Amino acid sequence: MATQVFKVPDIMIDGFKFGFCPGCDHGVAMRLVAECLDELNLQENTICASAIGCSVCIYDYINVDTIEAPHGRAIAEATGVKRAKPDKFVFTYQGDGDFASIGLAESMHAALRGEKISAICINNTNYGMTGGQLGPTTMVGQVTTTSPTGRNLEYYGYPMKIAEQFALCDGVAFSARVSLDTVPNIRKAKAAIKKAFEYQIKGLGFSFVEILSSCPTNWRMTPQKAHDRVRDEMMKVFVPGVYKDILESKQV
Amino acid sequence: MTTTLNKSEGKVLIKGNYAIANAAVIAGCQCYFGYPITPQSEIGEFMSGKMQELGRAYVSAESELGAINMTIGACSTGVKAMTSSSSCAISLMQEGISYACSDELPVVIVSVMRGGPGLGNIYPSQGDYEQAVIGGGNGDYRIIVLAPGTVQECVDLTYKTFYLAHKYRMPAMLLADGLLGQMMEPCLFGDYPYPEVDNSEWMLTGAKNRHRRVIRSYAPLAEDQCVFLNKLFNKYKVLEENEVMYDEYMVDDADIVVMSFGSMGRNVKSAVKACREKGLKVGAFRPLTLFPFPNRKIEELSHSAKKILVTEINMGQMLRDVRLAVNGRIPVEFLGKPVGSMIDIEDIVKKIESMIEV
Repeated sequence: MATQVFKVPDIMIDGFKFGFCPGCDHGVAMRLVAECLDELNLQENTICASAIGCSVCIYDYINVDTIEAPHGRAIAEATGVKRAKPDKFVFTYQGDGDFASIGLAESMHAALRGEKISAICINNTNYGMTGGQLGPTTMVGQVTTTSPTGRNLEYYGYPMKIAEQFALCDGVAFSARVSLDTVPNIRKAKAAIKKAFEYQIKGLGFSFVEILSSCPTNWRMTPQKAHDRVRDEMMKVFVPGVYKDILESKQV
Repeated sequence: MTTTLNKSEGKVLIKGNYAIANAAVIAGCQCYFGYPITPQSEIGEFMSGKMQELGRAYVSAESELGAINMTIGACSTGVKAMTSSSSCAISLMQEGISYACSDELPVVIVSVMRGGPGLGNIYPSQGDYEQAVIGGGNGDYRIIVLAPGTVQECVDLTYKTFYLAHKYRMPAMLLADGLLGQMMEPCLFGDYPYPEVDNSEWMLTGAKNRHRRVIRSYAPLAEDQCVFLNKLFNKYKVLEENEVMYDEYMVDDADIVVMSFGSMGRNVKSAVKACREKGLKVGAFRPLTLFPFPNRKIEELSHSAKKILVTEINMGQMLRDVRLAVNGRIPVEFLGKPVGSMIDIEDIVKKIESMIEV
């Protein structure tokens, strides 16, 4: 008898087609989020706060109640939702600019308060939707449309290591960084997302997963080259790993 | 005030800010989000204790950006939620207010005005009439704006603000000023006098036994945005038809009608009384709803009266709306003061007398 070993997650919207650029990791990341929501049976109890940037599209693909927040304010709106309805499962899906630049105050204070929400943050080292400008995670030396000679310290300073920073907040239950460059790493990424979601369900505190992602269009690279860059450059600076797990007592 | 006030028998002597906060609690406000700013900090202080005592939600937000967006998030689940702030910090909320209009969410905002622009000062001012009524957020939108003039009205209009926000599913603001926020007057709370509005058709609860809901403002197609804005402005028309409120005093035979809003109406009424004692035909008119604005009533008054005087603790903001409603039929003069206390009764009387002499 045939056994189905692979399928589109039930929670994905019927007939969806990802509209992302070829080689972009948003589709993989959203699929992992969808699989975790399915496996934890969360569809009927979830409210998502979507962000601004390419990540806003999550409501075109994942079939859950959603509120679309202004740029940088997804965590604040998720906080409002969770405080109003503590029994709901509440998560955000944001880019690094949304989460760690314009929304840094909202993100960090929610982490410090230990809001029982989960945040997924895509780190692709630039502002993708607006055409690849320098952002909070743009790497030293990286050329973007607003760092035409590369990110130099004199003009731009340093990029932010988000997962490490948030691991330092006492209200955080789980903080991890994952990569989607290989199949084994995609499996690890899913495990991290699932753990983050489970920690919210257990009421342990704020849970966070930073996902290293390709942005081939704005990086001016082929999908393959872009994933080589994730592995050879990004993962050396933005090192994947679990930076905080209060059940494992792992802390930086 | 480490008060346990919630419902009270009979009248109590209470500060405007506490009256607003306690009225919000009685109205059924489930979530409060705020950041301190003078002259409204008592609202957050009262809420921090009261909401915890009642098992409701209170968050000391990291900023007014956080506060308004937390309020939006809470309102998206259908509960009554509010934030409160003042002048320069209401400026920070303008982005959120624009989104809340676009999201059609019943966000309640209390604005207790201080002096501006910029940091200004903490003296009473009415310099944020335009900030409230016209708004500083992007795009075409209106919000409901109610302006109390006494502590009792702070209570009554707080109830009304919650009711109208939910009835019309749009943001509503209670626009008070530092004078009202800080003054004590006797007032009666009673029960929340309005019916509960059913939000079950749109609120986010998780997509159980129904299609999922998305509350969003993104409208990538121009046609969609046109449809949405027409719908929004039709709603505003209904508001203008049905929800205009004002306070009038001896306007029927008045040659001169003195118009003001909020706390300034107190001295205006006293000035009108003084004028009547002198045999002068003067009346007072005070909108309680700044949006919807009583355009039709003011137009009527412009047919019966000979002149209108607008008095405000600002450089002339409601003045413009009055002039638009009067549409040039009769002279509209202005007596203002940038910031500080109310304009003295004698100065208003003097101004009225000078308008009669001419």
